[in-house]
Amino acid sequence: MNEFVDECRREWRRLGVSDPVANEMAADLTADLEEAEAEGGSPEDVLGNSAFDPRRFAASWAGARGVTGPPPPDRQSFWRLPVAIALTVLLGVLTLGAGLVLLVGRASSSIAFATRRIMAGPGPLRIFGPGGRIVVPGPRGLPIVGTQITGVGVHPVAWVLLIAGVVGLGVLAVLYWSRWSGPRRYRRHEGSRTPSWN
Amino acid sequence: MGNNEGRRSQLLRGVLDLCLLAVMGEGPAYGYEMTKRLRGRGLSTVGEGSIYPLLGRLERDGLVETRRAASNGGPPRKYYSLSPEGERALEAGVSEWQATRDAVDGALGLVKAEVSP
Repeated sequence: MNEFVDECRREWRRLGVSDPVANEMAADLTADLEEAEAEGGSPEDVLGNSAFDPRRFAASWAGARGVTGPPPPDRQSFWRLPVAIALTVLLGVLTLGAGLVLLVGRASSSIAFATRRIMAGPGPLRIFGPGGRIVVPGPRGLPIVGTQITGVGVHPVAWVLLIAGVVGLGVLAVLYWSRWSGPRRYRRHEGSRTPSWN
Repeated sequence: MGNNEGRRSQLLRGVLDLCLLAVMGEGPAYGYEMTKRLRGRGLSTVGEGSIYPLLGRLERDGLVETRRAASNGGPPRKYYSLSPEGERALEAGVSEWQATRDAVDGALGLVKAEVSP
């Protein structure tokens, strides 16, 4: 019996029912359950099938009385917001920075290649290999092949940071949306729920 | 058997508020007391569900008035009684129920006449 009432209390608290109203409902419920028990009855005699579903019963009762309110403030919400803002700013700066580095890197690479090609001039030294790749002589005459022209070889870290930043911002956006829309959906549902017998 | 109970439960669901207002008309009562009054009038299927949400709705709609008073040696209870608006709602509901019941009786009476030898 106490477990049932305790479970109801938890549900009322979750639904934002004020303490005085929750105490009143709990006291009435406890008194009725105790009276039924004293008469040799069971909780089902008082609550019917609702005796097996305290949370639904509590929500139905509170909804019918119109005593549900905003949910109690989450202790961690105060800290979650600044952390979320800081994360968003960090990821934004990271994404922008990485994108900027890639853009600048690509432009400077092109300039450098053009300069080096002009300086190298005709001869055995080939600056550009097949597919736009760079071929420069190595220490023992072996060619060293790079892919700087695509920017991948020059700034792999920037690419990783860019992707991580975009993905992180996406995850934050999803988390923010779900946090914002969750209680709103529930509240709308509660408001439209027709108080039922059960 | 199960179907019959289900049908009865559905039928009662539509008029349980009227039944509660009616037993309140006999005098103020708290939640479980009303359950017992209903059971005493043969509405044992009230055990299929709880009357508390319904009482909450009646209170919210202003059809009942409440006061907290000591019960017989027990803790203070919340007593429900009819408000003037509740009395009017009860009268209107009873008329509506009687009209519906007569119409249903008329329809079912025809079926019974055909089935009976």
